[in-house]
Amino acid sequence: MPTLTIDGKPVEVEKGTSILEAAQKLGVYIPRYCYHPKLSVSGNCRMCLVEVEKAPKLLTACSTEAAEGMVVRTVSDKVKAARRDVLEYLLINHPLDCPICDQAGECGLQNYYMDYSLAKSRFKNEDKVRRQKRRALGPHLVLDNERCILCTRCVRFCAEVTKTAELEVMGRGDHSHIDMKEGKALDNGYSLNIADICPVGAWTSRDFRFKQRVWFLKKTPTICLGCATGCLIEAHHNENTIYRTVPLPNPETNTWLCDHGRLAYKAVQGGDRLVKGVIKNGLIDFEPALREVAARIDEARGAGAVAVLGSPWLSIEDNAALARLAKDALKTENYCFDFASEQGIKDGILINKDPSPNANGLRLVKDAHGGISQAELSSRIAAGQIKVVLAEARAAGLIKDALKAAGTRLIVFAANKGEIPAATYATLPYASYFETPGTFVNYQGLRRRTTPPAEAPEGVKPLWAVVNKLAAYSGSSLRLDSAEDALKGIDLK
Amino acid sequence: MENILLKDNVAEIEAYFAAGGYKPLKKALGLKPAEVIEEVKKSNLRGRGGAGFPCGLKWSFIPKDAEGPRYLVCNADEGEPGTFKDRELILKNPHALIEGMAIAGYAIGAGHGYIYIRGEFAEETELLQRSISAARAKGFLGKNILGSGFNFEIFTHRGAGAYICGEETALLESLEGFKGQPRLKPPFPAIKGLFGSPTVINNVETLAAVPAIIANGGDWYAAIGNGKSAGTKLFCVSGPVNKPGVFELPLGVSFRELLEKSCGGLKPGKILKAVIPGGSSTPVLTADEAMAVKLDYESLAAAGSMLGSGAVIVIDESQCMVKLLQVLAHFYHHESCGQCTPCREGCGWIERIMNRFEEGRADRKDIDTLYSVADGMLGRTICPLADAMAMPVMSFIKKFRAEFEAHADGKTCAKK
Repeated sequence: MPTLTIDGKPVEVEKGTSILEAAQKLGVYIPRYCYHPKLSVSGNCRMCLVEVEKAPKLLTACSTEAAEGMVVRTVSDKVKAARRDVLEYLLINHPLDCPICDQAGECGLQNYYMDYSLAKSRFKNEDKVRRQKRRALGPHLVLDNERCILCTRCVRFCAEVTKTAELEVMGRGDHSHIDMKEGKALDNGYSLNIADICPVGAWTSRDFRFKQRVWFLKKTPTICLGCATGCLIEAHHNENTIYRTVPLPNPETNTWLCDHGRLAYKAVQGGDRLVKGVIKNGLIDFEPALREVAARIDEARGAGAVAVLGSPWLSIEDNAALARLAKDALKTENYCFDFASEQGIKDGILINKDPSPNANGLRLVKDAHGGISQAELSSRIAAGQIKVVLAEARAAGLIKDALKAAGTRLIVFAANKGEIPAATYATLPYASYFETPGTFVNYQGLRRRTTPPAEAPEGVKPLWAVVNKLAAYSGSSLRLDSAEDALKGIDLK
Repeated sequence: MENILLKDNVAEIEAYFAAGGYKPLKKALGLKPAEVIEEVKKSNLRGRGGAGFPCGLKWSFIPKDAEGPRYLVCNADEGEPGTFKDRELILKNPHALIEGMAIAGYAIGAGHGYIYIRGEFAEETELLQRSISAARAKGFLGKNILGSGFNFEIFTHRGAGAYICGEETALLESLEGFKGQPRLKPPFPAIKGLFGSPTVINNVETLAAVPAIIANGGDWYAAIGNGKSAGTKLFCVSGPVNKPGVFELPLGVSFRELLEKSCGGLKPGKILKAVIPGGSSTPVLTADEAMAVKLDYESLAAAGSMLGSGAVIVIDESQCMVKLLQVLAHFYHHESCGQCTPCREGCGWIERIMNRFEEGRADRKDIDTLYSVADGMLGRTICPLADAMAMPVMSFIKKFRAEFEAHADGKTCAKK
């Protein structure tokens, strides 16, 4: 374990640690463009040059291994001059189109210029190097090669993380540019990470472009519910609108985020969002829809012909509320919180075999409230014993064959019109987990709670609250005043 | 003294053999590899490609206990402007290179040697391939060489025209089939080189000197030359001299002697202005500095320049230093691989400033800008290409500032 001194402070690090990482351990920040902790070291940007005693030249902190007794200086005059020079070189051919660049406000060139340069431009009368601008590459990205500083993070990401290697630096010298390899398309399922790791405005997200200045964005850490992996994310939003989600790198679960999960937020604020009830195919206000649902349930409950189905797409709170509705209000045995789930990363990166985010949380609800198996429920439906099934929209898909055969009335909770199964009798809207807190357990058994970055559309309530009201129509009180109330009796371990 | 490298009438294997060729290989194969390395260390032979690193020491860096293959690579990608010695050496004495490679291969435990040769050298490649076939036919290459149990094959690989591929790690990338861009060091090629295996990369001239060293002993070679700069060196002289060309002379020979004796002096009416002593990337010397300097590693370093590849570019008073630097700037701008920021952006910036000087659009402030742009590149990149651009810029301005000022003030060149 070598011990070295950085800016006068001693630090002991594992063998093989770079100077940059050793400095990080001390809280000393060394500026960098090409270095990324999860990509191979390239050493091309030369921004992280530091002075090492006895070394004749400045050394790149990213690629130089910390050694016993090394004396490193990160803020000497020589280092400061080198940083100023690198920034000057990077900026001479940069288009300086910050006013129309989405990266402005979170740009490596802007930030480092303020921190390490503030020099006046000496580049005059000369034509800048011109490169291709605004080129759409793949379904999610736009490339502006004039803004590019050729750090090659994008090239290495595609080569090392997705292993699809679509990108390459073509050309030589100052006409080098990022381009696609022949016969490839930039649609590897993780392509939007490229916009994240691009330190400048060369790669921008087609989804986010021109939607919002980044300095207006508020940032709320939450979790992605795109699959059982349960990545930590940060939602960027302003005035009740989410503009993008980005990964919140953490050692447990994720550095990156898949495109599917990243764009999942769009479902809750697109035109497809359900803000009213639906009876057959007609939209009606929430209250009359709820009354209609309650009436249909009342009809069937006397004969014990109502069933409630939990869902791995719902939070523990909302599932528990459904369980309480079945047990304590409808007083039926026909409820099921039993789902088979095969979990594990299926693509070697992040995407899980289980597309639902909460199969493990559902198990906790089943442990607390019991219920019948899915096979048993299906067979009771198929046998015609069930007249009304209450379910979350996507979970209803799991028993759709049984439903079709039996002609059972299906009542679902849905956040989006697109989720509603065909031949649904009635649909009630509920607040998504971008709008209400919910607890989920990912494939690793990590229990995490969403933090809502936005409010639900007017009149749309959390599912537990809808259930609470439904119970009241059936003459029972579940006493659910908050999401936490629903958690009573559940052993969260 | 007699030439060690540049010999006449030894290009064919029979003539080479008759002159004592391939006897050193036999001798080397009778020694232990470590003994061969020891002999080369004793000779003080240093890298002739430009950096001057001790050859025997380089060979000894190959890890003794490394598993898997080891490689020997001959850098014949002669690209430094002003340099044309390796070409001459290959044409005149190809078997010295082949024999040198076989000995080096034996010393470092390599089974394969690659000659990475400049793409333009088509005729030379053909000659080398013919010579390699001839050597194989005689049992100097191939399996069980001279009954020693040592196997060694040599392959030629033509470059595709990039100057940067003369940098040893860019050369390895190119040889592996990738884009020629220098690698980060460490790891050095001796640990992780060609195809990830321990590799020694030597210049043509370095390897071609090895047979004579084995034949006559390291001490014999070390006695030639000037102290730590041992042996002979090929000097490529270009410019307005009566007899330009390649000359083999002991290291430490004075520039005056090279100019006056070997090259027959300057052409009539020409007055010496400056000399670039070691290829276009080395700092320029004024006439006075040049006439006082000895041509060896230490003496040229003391004079503020470098021996480099031994390409001596003679510049006379009729030449415009600003125009000359513009030509160099164009070359380095064109050849920068584009990997490191300072080189990629700086070389282009320098060329554009030089264009302004030549077009009468520069002012005196541009001289300082030019100097500081070069200064910002120096020593801050993965490979020395940025230095190769920066060193001439800085030395031209330091030593010939008046010419830059004249361009800035008069907006034109007085030489035109």
